[in-house]
Amino acid sequence: MLLVPCPNCGPRNSTDLRYGGESHARPDPNTASPAEWRAYLYLRDNPAGWLRENWYCASGCRRWFSVERNTATNEFRDPPLPGDKRGGAA
Amino acid sequence: MTMSRQGVQPTEVIDRAAKLRFRWNGKRFSGFEGDTIASALAAAGEHIFSRSMKYHRPRGILTADYWDPNLMVQVGDDPNVRAGHRLLESGMDVRSQNAWPSLNRDIKAANSLLGRFLTAGFYYKTFMRPQWLWPTYERVLATFAPGGKIDLDTPHAYHDKRYTHPDVVVAGAGPAGISAALAASSAGASVLLVSHEHAVGGHLRYSSDAADQAALTELRAALDASDVEVLTDSTVTGRYEDNWLGIVQRNHPIAVERLIKARAKTLVAAPGLIERPYVFEGNDRPGVITPGAARRLINLWGVKPGERAVVFSANADGDAAVADLERVGTEIAAVIDGRTGGSVSSTAGSSRAVEAVMVNGTNGAERIDADLLVVAAGWTAPTSLLNMAGDRPIYDPTAARFFPSDPPSNVLATGGLAGDADLDGLRQHGAATGRLAAARAAAVRHRLQSRTARALPVDGDEPAWAPDERAPLGRDPHPELYRADTHGMVDMSEDISSKDLVAAAHEGYDSVELAKRYTTATMGPSQGKLETVNTVAAIAEARGETISEVGTTVWRPPYAPLTLGALAGRMFEPVRVSSIQPWHEANNVSVIQAGQWLRPDHYGDPAAEVRNVRDNVGLIDVTPLGKLDLRGPDVPKLLSLLYVNKWMKLGVGRVRYGMMCAEDGVVLDDGVTGRLGEDHYMMSTTSSGAGGVWEWVENWLQTERPDWQVHVTPVTTAYASINVAGPKSRELMSRVCEDADLDAEAFPYMTVRQATVAGVEDCFMWRIGFTGELSFELHVPAGHGLHVWEALMDAGSDLGVGPFGLEGQRIMRLEKGHFIVGQDTDGLTLGPSTGLWSLIKLDKDDFAGKPELAWAADRSLPMVVAIQPDDPDVVPEEAAQIVRGNTNEILGRITSSRYSPTLNRSICLGQVEPDLAAGGTKLTVLLESGERIGATVIDHHAHFDPAGERLRG
Amino acid sequence: MADTASPLRSTSMGPAFESPVVRNYPTSEGGNLTLTDASATAKWLVRADADGPTADRLGARFGSSQMAPGGALVLGSRPGEWIIVGTPGEVSAAVADLDGLEAQEFMTVLDWTHSRAMFRATGVSATRMLEKVCGIDWSDHMTPDGAVLSASVALTTCDLARNDVDGTPSYLIFCDRSVGQYLFDALIDAGNEFGLTVTASSAS
Repeated sequence: MLLVPCPNCGPRNSTDLRYGGESHARPDPNTASPAEWRAYLYLRDNPAGWLRENWYCASGCRRWFSVERNTATNEFRDPPLPGDKRGGAA
Repeated sequence: MTMSRQGVQPTEVIDRAAKLRFRWNGKRFSGFEGDTIASALAAAGEHIFSRSMKYHRPRGILTADYWDPNLMVQVGDDPNVRAGHRLLESGMDVRSQNAWPSLNRDIKAANSLLGRFLTAGFYYKTFMRPQWLWPTYERVLATFAPGGKIDLDTPHAYHDKRYTHPDVVVAGAGPAGISAALAASSAGASVLLVSHEHAVGGHLRYSSDAADQAALTELRAALDASDVEVLTDSTVTGRYEDNWLGIVQRNHPIAVERLIKARAKTLVAAPGLIERPYVFEGNDRPGVITPGAARRLINLWGVKPGERAVVFSANADGDAAVADLERVGTEIAAVIDGRTGGSVSSTAGSSRAVEAVMVNGTNGAERIDADLLVVAAGWTAPTSLLNMAGDRPIYDPTAARFFPSDPPSNVLATGGLAGDADLDGLRQHGAATGRLAAARAAAVRHRLQSRTARALPVDGDEPAWAPDERAPLGRDPHPELYRADTHGMVDMSEDISSKDLVAAAHEGYDSVELAKRYTTATMGPSQGKLETVNTVAAIAEARGETISEVGTTVWRPPYAPLTLGALAGRMFEPVRVSSIQPWHEANNVSVIQAGQWLRPDHYGDPAAEVRNVRDNVGLIDVTPLGKLDLRGPDVPKLLSLLYVNKWMKLGVGRVRYGMMCAEDGVVLDDGVTGRLGEDHYMMSTTSSGAGGVWEWVENWLQTERPDWQVHVTPVTTAYASINVAGPKSRELMSRVCEDADLDAEAFPYMTVRQATVAGVEDCFMWRIGFTGELSFELHVPAGHGLHVWEALMDAGSDLGVGPFGLEGQRIMRLEKGHFIVGQDTDGLTLGPSTGLWSLIKLDKDDFAGKPELAWAADRSLPMVVAIQPDDPDVVPEEAAQIVRGNTNEILGRITSSRYSPTLNRSICLGQVEPDLAAGGTKLTVLLESGERIGATVIDHHAHFDPAGERLRG
Repeated sequence: MADTASPLRSTSMGPAFESPVVRNYPTSEGGNLTLTDASATAKWLVRADADGPTADRLGARFGSSQMAPGGALVLGSRPGEWIIVGTPGEVSAAVADLDGLEAQEFMTVLDWTHSRAMFRATGVSATRMLEKVCGIDWSDHMTPDGAVLSASVALTTCDLARNDVDGTPSYLIFCDRSVGQYLFDALIDAGNEFGLTVTASSAS
């Protein structure tokens, strides 16, 4: 089981956290085209490699954070950024 | 093969003073404390333990340890017990498995008949068609299949679970593993040493060599004096991400098995080597054993394995077996040396015993009479834990086995897995590995401690990752001995011969992964430990390639088979109850499980409960209703963002209904929120949505609006929630409420008040009406919930007060046409489909799901509608389909359906296509029975009191 | 914090506090592990900035605990969240000490007594008991006396604090009140092998 580096609680079992998926910015709801909005809802890059993603420390500090993980090796690049969900999926 | 107990051996592990009586296939036997089931039976002269899986050939001891494929037995109600490993206990009822027709009677005709037909892929080819015969095939084949009998009346055994976080876990307790554990412990690491066997020592245990025994004594004394935690009869079954290890402990005093989940900072893999059988004609005839089996029988249990032996030896273990056999008086008929080109080609004899061995020795082909053939043909490196860590071991033809290639740096191999050396060399390599493991663990520990807020502060920088400066172990040359000039069994668990594998390769299944699945070689209880490399060798031979070119299968968890009980462990199934639960239990409640909650469903007669609420007054315990305490100046902005409707002008003391949609516009949750004070709100959610909505709110606040001043605190279980409903509810409430004016003008519909109720301060209540009746939803500090409930029951006895449960509430809310999120809506139901278009305020600047809801305005959507079957006595099933006429074209479905005791007719909610949503539309509902009934959409959701006069009262 | 909290009363005339633990357990002696239902203990929750004046006043940083001058125990349970526990008097004193801070920063104080069950496990085997129900590293260097954390215990999210008693390991365990009976039973199941004494400091 993965150890996920919570910025507050320290490394914790991944079952202590909720996976929030790839980080992505929320488009302006008043100007977004259907294509942009649905890309935000449904489209993910899913790279084999470094990915900025969100986790929620559900059994620990109850804080959302984003962190970079290599999906091919499961290595984390820390320190993770508390609260920041806007790392961009690029 | 005649086995018998001999005189006392200096290394034996049995206590000859402690006699244990047991039964074997109903007959009385006895053994000694320290015997395995197999050694006790062998000492008593038994030599047939099972019949093989496909051909039902009699099978005897092969390895006399955990991996022995022929020693699976049933002990009482416990199937598939490994008699080569399980210690004998007094009173055991041991039976053979897979013994059709019986262990001792031979049906030669059946054997040869089966032998001719059960070729590779036989089952796949034969039992494909016709499909309708599959159940028959299954029943017949099951009588042939191996495995014991499962007794469905067996009581649940207690299985235990534990977590641990040692610095170093050492898997394997031979001389290298023990040395690693001791060195790591001396270096300050916390160490868990896991021994698959019943005692530590590895191969030293069954060595009669004086130096080996002295070393064993010394190592055990050092372990006893150390801080190393030792687990015996335990197996590291799996290695997962970040050295998360599964360990099954089979000898725990309070449990049948205990599953230990260990997070090791470094893992030392020291499983030793496993003797590999040799493939030749008759290699599965009882009497063919490994040198380890011979030496275990002699040195651990004082059992002489046979009277006259041929030993085929290609290594020192074979040579040591010769010495041990001679010591207990087994006549050595011949020693065939595999290092100088000697070989065995077959055995002869009955199906039940070896009588002679055909050898190719220095004198050429020769038949030698013997009842025992000991074969030392080489080793398999059980690299499983390394495979699980991502390593792909590499084959070395000069040593005739696989070696680690490049495991991750927190997994270190030592002992036979890593190479060969004399005992001192193994101990030195083990110790060096232990020191390295401890040094690397210290770096991991420093990092964990420095990044964990609660931990003790650590001084200094994180230690550098220690370099691997161990002197590598050597590799002793060993001849590549896989198959003789004849064919024989490769996988004794599955009855797969080298001929089958060659045939599979010729049929095109020539990759080892394909051949494995096609023939099922390596897939039996031995889990490849004995047969994997021979399988690869057979495929390589068929392909005319080397073992390196063919490659091997990847060993996956578990290292050794484990029971489902061990995996299940102690079950954690949280159960939530309200503080009123003791009253419910004392009053004939019928409980329904809703998520983790146990809730009153009814108290005997839900219809009567409904009538009582409509006529008098009823109480329902709605504690699971989600409640979030919201405080701060920006709460109105938060509410406006999460709900589809407007919240900026909710006055203090007011309550409003709100619907939440997700960003895709789908209905997420609903409920009422009240403003208790200037900056203090209470949000209620659906019972099932309580946890999800909390996370949803936190997500918005933390990641999208971190500058807003709002504190969200879940208080669902801080309050016992009681809905007091019915025309007499105001009268009842006025009797227990000390400081609130309950008059309709002072406390109107959709407002909230704080009050002292039955002497309990800090209660709040709001006037809402899920049931459609005049009602007060009372929220009492949970530690006084039972008191208030009982006070209400006492105070209202003359008013006819009674409890009602979830079923009564469901009926009443359906009468009122209130939809339930998740029941009447689903994962595709957009907000407007609920009929609450007017609630959705697209002129707000922003709210969750706004764009999708705006675009939905231009579309025709399926709608939630109230439906009444034309026949008032027919109650359609929930999820019954609404279809077009006599076709099967689906136009919608019934989502809720009940018989209304108030209206004396069936009533429903359903989702229908947009053009069927208008009041008066005639529908056809297809019942589960196949019958089609007529039904009509009614004008509004409420079947009862559509004007809402009762609840506003 | 007094080891045994007195029963809370809503008002001087009001009804007694009902613990979520309603089952009776046979009393046993001689074990080296005691499990106490202390749900009646007063518990308050404070929310404020993790580095603001409230944090300064309370003292306990995230992950640690501290005794307030009036005798209450202050637990730094989450970044910007504190749990104050003790007798009603001790907790009232600690909460009164925060008066005036609401003018300096956005903060919330709320009575959490009814929201959370509270248990105390004390004894040399208390750590071994927790290892059977919780995946956290309970060793002294990772979870020393005074440590505070949140974690899943028997699949229930709990706030936990190590609060040794006279040098003997002791842990405070807080969970949702509604799941209190379940968790208490799960702890008893885990602790039985060590010889367990069950007590209650609540009156009901």
